[in-house]
Amino acid sequence: MSTTFNKRLLIVWLTLTAMTLAYVWIDHTADHNGTFTASTVVTVSAIVIALVKVRIIFREFMEVRHAPALLRRLTDAWVVLVGACLVGSYFIGSALAS
Amino acid sequence: MTNLAGAGPVPRQLEERPRRFVPGQPDMWVFVLFETLLFTGYFSVYLVSRTQNRELYLQSQSHLDLRIGVFNTIALLLSSWAIARCVQAAREGAYRSALTNAFLTISFGIVFLTSKVLEWIKQIHLGNTFTSNDFFQHYFFMTSIHCIHVLIGFLVLGVLVYQLWSPARRSQQLVETCATYWHTVDFLWVLIFALLYVVR
Repeated sequence: MSTTFNKRLLIVWLTLTAMTLAYVWIDHTADHNGTFTASTVVTVSAIVIALVKVRIIFREFMEVRHAPALLRRLTDAWVVLVGACLVGSYFIGSALAS
Repeated sequence: MTNLAGAGPVPRQLEERPRRFVPGQPDMWVFVLFETLLFTGYFSVYLVSRTQNRELYLQSQSHLDLRIGVFNTIALLLSSWAIARCVQAAREGAYRSALTNAFLTISFGIVFLTSKVLEWIKQIHLGNTFTSNDFFQHYFFMTSIHCIHVLIGFLVLGVLVYQLWSPARRSQQLVETCATYWHTVDFLWVLIFALLYVVR
């Protein structure tokens, strides 16, 4: 059981690291000749990937998947709330700027 | 006498544990969720501010090296993995392994902190300081507030090591509470990294 669980932790870490490395690819494809350009797709993708990583950390590293339903739902609601605030702020700010 | 060798008996508190349990003390979870909301409020201000002066933010952001951010993130993810293994080992009574993983967590935390300080020095040499412009004000504020959390994390990990060292002081709930705090430091950085280095 212990070996299985530790393998699971390793897979979780590999997944989180792969998602972090995905940012390098996004960064590489987003810019042209080293010039940074504004992009809603990149911004929303970056936020969504970060939130998926946060949820994985909650569920696996912080052992929320073994927690009572209240904590599981609360942490999920928190991830959604943080996402709504971040993406909402970006779009509201963009609307105000234009 | 200190007994670190091999697996110890599983504490009675764990045998009596229900199948579903809150990891660590519930108070720590209240703190985690509250702290996350505080940071989210600040992140929202940063994102709105970003949209009001895109060119300045994009131009300033180009001074940051994404590779350093990726390195920082992987170092903290490694520390989170190590503390998750520490919790698992302590639960099984393998306290020597738990201590090794606690020290690994501290080591990866130090790697993170060192690379962050080196990055600050690099930016200051490039002329980018707290007062340079809005982007760098946010950059230095967010990263330094986060580093204060890392420093508090070292105190928490110190308590963890102290508790694990002696059989008389071992408490699985305390191990999980310390781990919960450290994971929070990790996932806050995951968000900060995306917002400072990647968003456009």
